[in-house]
Amino acid sequence: MSQPALYERLVFKNASVYHYLKIYLILDNDDRKINAVYFKQMIISALRDLYGEIGAAFPFDVLKFEEDTLTAVLRVYNSGLVKLWTALTLLGSYQSEPCAVHVTQVSPFLLALSGNSRELELD
Amino acid sequence: MVRYKSRYLLCELCVSDQSSLQLLDERAVFAAVRGAVSSAHGDYGSALCSASFAVKYLNAHTGVVFLRCRKSHYRVLWSALPFITSVESRGQRVPCFFNCLHIGGTIRTCQKFLIRYNTQQLHRMLRLCHSEAERLEVRKAVLSCSLKSLEKEEEAEDGYGDEEV
Repeated sequence: MSQPALYERLVFKNASVYHYLKIYLILDNDDRKINAVYFKQMIISALRDLYGEIGAAFPFDVLKFEEDTLTAVLRVYNSGLVKLWTALTLLGSYQSEPCAVHVTQVSPFLLALSGNSRELELD
Repeated sequence: MVRYKSRYLLCELCVSDQSSLQLLDERAVFAAVRGAVSSAHGDYGSALCSASFAVKYLNAHTGVVFLRCRKSHYRVLWSALPFITSVESRGQRVPCFFNCLHIGGTIRTCQKFLIRYNTQQLHRMLRLCHSEAERLEVRKAVLSCSLKSLEKEEEAEDGYGDEEV
């Protein structure tokens, strides 16, 4: 019982508390303009539809939103990642017009979103 | 053999006016709970909860309700209960709230708890009696109302009613 442990178990858990998502929005109607505030509102209402008032009450941030390409970078705590992702997947309409959200990259490190290996052009 | 495990939530329906309890039926309670779960936990929560969700028992005299749901997701139902403020029944809104007394794995354990709880309540109330006469009065009242005699009375009442018609 009092014998000291001969080895020490080290577990490295993911140091980052956040996950970052790079997403882009596809709207059916191309000439509709949408800004960051409406975009966040859209995500919140999608969350509320799927998970209700209690389930949707977790924080997430829109770090960047580009209005011309409709791409955004979201930051969310690890505990809310699955909920946010599923709500984005099931988001089907915006102001009664069909739309879709593509999740292109997900990473615990923001730097990883600076490049995408799928879009690399090799000589 | 494998069986589906359930959780039974023993709740007390608290209303300001005792007579409005008579208006409630199982379907009204079912709809109210379902609506609360759906607004608090959305489509996902109500789908989790709807599997084997049922109102097993409703006592319109005391306001005791048994709710059944799957063991794995009873927390979804449980956390939605405080958000119920009224039950709509027969076109009338009855303002009320749910007081969850006990959560058990079987109806039997819930019933045991309910009996114990009611005994405790009785002991607590008896302390409020001022004189020995009052205490005796309560004792007599408790002893006089057994389930058997109630059934007999109901039968008698029914028979009487039929005769009148």
